[in-house]
Amino acid sequence: MNALELTDVRKVYPVGDSEVVALDHASLTLGQNEILALVGPSGSGKTTLLSIAGGILSPSSGKVVVGGEDISDYSNGQLTRFRQEKVGFVFQSVNLVPFLTAAENLFVVDELGPRTGKPARATAGKLLDELGLAERTKNLPSQLSGGERQRVAIGRALMNDPDLVLFDEPTSALDTGLGAQVMELIRSEMKQRGISAIVVTHDPRITEYCDRTVQIVDGELSA
Amino acid sequence: MFLALREIGRAKARFGLLVSAIALLVFLILFQQSLQNGLLTSFTGAVKNQSAPVLVYSVDGQRVLQASVITPDLEQRVRSTEGVGEVGAIRQGTFTGAPLTESENFDTSVIGYDAGADGEGLGAPASLSEGRLPTRAFEGVASAADARNGYGVGDVVRIVPGDAEISIVGIAQEAQLNVGPTIFVSNETYLELVAAVNPDAGVPPPNVLGVAPAVGVTDAQVVEAINGQSLELDALTRSDAAAKTPGVAQVQQSFAIIFLLYALVVPCVTGLFFLIVTFQKAGALTLLRAIGASARSLVWSLLLQAVIILGAGLALGILLYLPVSQTRLGGLELQFEEGAVIGWSIALLALGLVSSLFAARRVLKIDPMEATTGRGVGQ
Repeated sequence: MNALELTDVRKVYPVGDSEVVALDHASLTLGQNEILALVGPSGSGKTTLLSIAGGILSPSSGKVVVGGEDISDYSNGQLTRFRQEKVGFVFQSVNLVPFLTAAENLFVVDELGPRTGKPARATAGKLLDELGLAERTKNLPSQLSGGERQRVAIGRALMNDPDLVLFDEPTSALDTGLGAQVMELIRSEMKQRGISAIVVTHDPRITEYCDRTVQIVDGELSA
Repeated sequence: MFLALREIGRAKARFGLLVSAIALLVFLILFQQSLQNGLLTSFTGAVKNQSAPVLVYSVDGQRVLQASVITPDLEQRVRSTEGVGEVGAIRQGTFTGAPLTESENFDTSVIGYDAGADGEGLGAPASLSEGRLPTRAFEGVASAADARNGYGVGDVVRIVPGDAEISIVGIAQEAQLNVGPTIFVSNETYLELVAAVNPDAGVPPPNVLGVAPAVGVTDAQVVEAINGQSLELDALTRSDAAAKTPGVAQVQQSFAIIFLLYALVVPCVTGLFFLIVTFQKAGALTLLRAIGASARSLVWSLLLQAVIILGAGLALGILLYLPVSQTRLGGLELQFEEGAVIGWSIALLALGLVSSLFAARRVLKIDPMEATTGRGVGQ
């Protein structure tokens, strides 16, 4: 079973009397344990594709299957539950809840769905330990460095044991060295857990950490 | 609940300030409520808490005890009215009272009524908190608010000039008239006091008549029947007589405006606070929506915070009010108003929650897509 299958997906935004095509008949398959780099200039449709794959946005037409689950026609409520249970996100800018500690930023994922309590706390502690943040569990995001914040965000994205993790420009706010460290961490964590991922970037150096690269220009995909 | 409690815990100063602001407003509302009730009780308590179910004034008296005069003709008309059971003369005058235990003199309202051998009679205090009704000449029941000023049971109050002395034998709660010491005596004692103060005064006519309806007749029916007898008669039920005393409505109206303003300020403060907080944490809310938090759960979290903050503000406000409500303010005796505490708590909680719905609307408008752009609600 593939981690993601996009078939002839189209996303159109109405602008006044006309339309803007953000994604134009895009088809893409992401295999199990595969890390894919999605590269393209600003406004090319990278984020739209990522959002559709993650159930944040619904396609105008086409089919979206994540981990064998067809989410193409899901309602907002179904998409919310899908995001809760099946995908992990690491965003470019807003990534952590400022009034929660590092551990609580992971534990909150459990609070959003059917609560498990203690096992979730244990998982959060284990993840932070693996990510080298064992000493920072009680720190608020404002007390963490940029790299540490991204590592906490990665931990949060893994909390629900997802089928797919989506990274939106995960290193754009970091310097080159730190960016490389974070990408190495992403790769090792994904491979270790057998989780598939899409990394959206406009930085060609990031592609080195991915198994495959797909270009996107004006909403059209090309290998 | 997790998010709501964690946020409050991490922003204690911010939420603490809101709790303090609400507590202060709650305290002011309850204090003013006590002040209003204390003022009205001190003003008309003797009318409201006397035993005659119906009071009959002369129209010229404009519902003021001392200004009303019941002529023998009017008294006869009242007595002959169908449905009237018992009738008693009630007199009221203001004298200078000098408690023997105090060095100070007080303007003292003295109310005379037709007391029987046991001291009962129309116009007597409806209930006593201490002592007994006057059964002998120159005995009286004083208002409880003045007991500590030399008007307690066992105290003697000299009426000057004339040096007639009244022994206080009983205490009645909420029985002041015109915010001053008030003594209930028999009409015989009252006339003796008048004669002592002014030997040329003669026998003053009753100021009002206390009426008890005949068996099977209601207070309202007897009021209507008496008022139908003469345009010069103004019969009122006991509660109406208190409520329609000149000045009472104006006091209530003034306080009502103050209460209305407070009732608007509390929800405005709460609503604006949560709206501002919602804007400030828009990024976090958007992120939570994107990772799978339902809009409903975020709204519940917000409303839970509103309930906690309002509840804490109410509790603190009531705690501040508690000791103040046990005190005296000049001649006014304040009381802890349980009904006001319950009523205002429910009203302010409801209004605060309603005002928080504006913030909830903003939460419902959050588009999780904005997490990918770094924007939040309202930005």
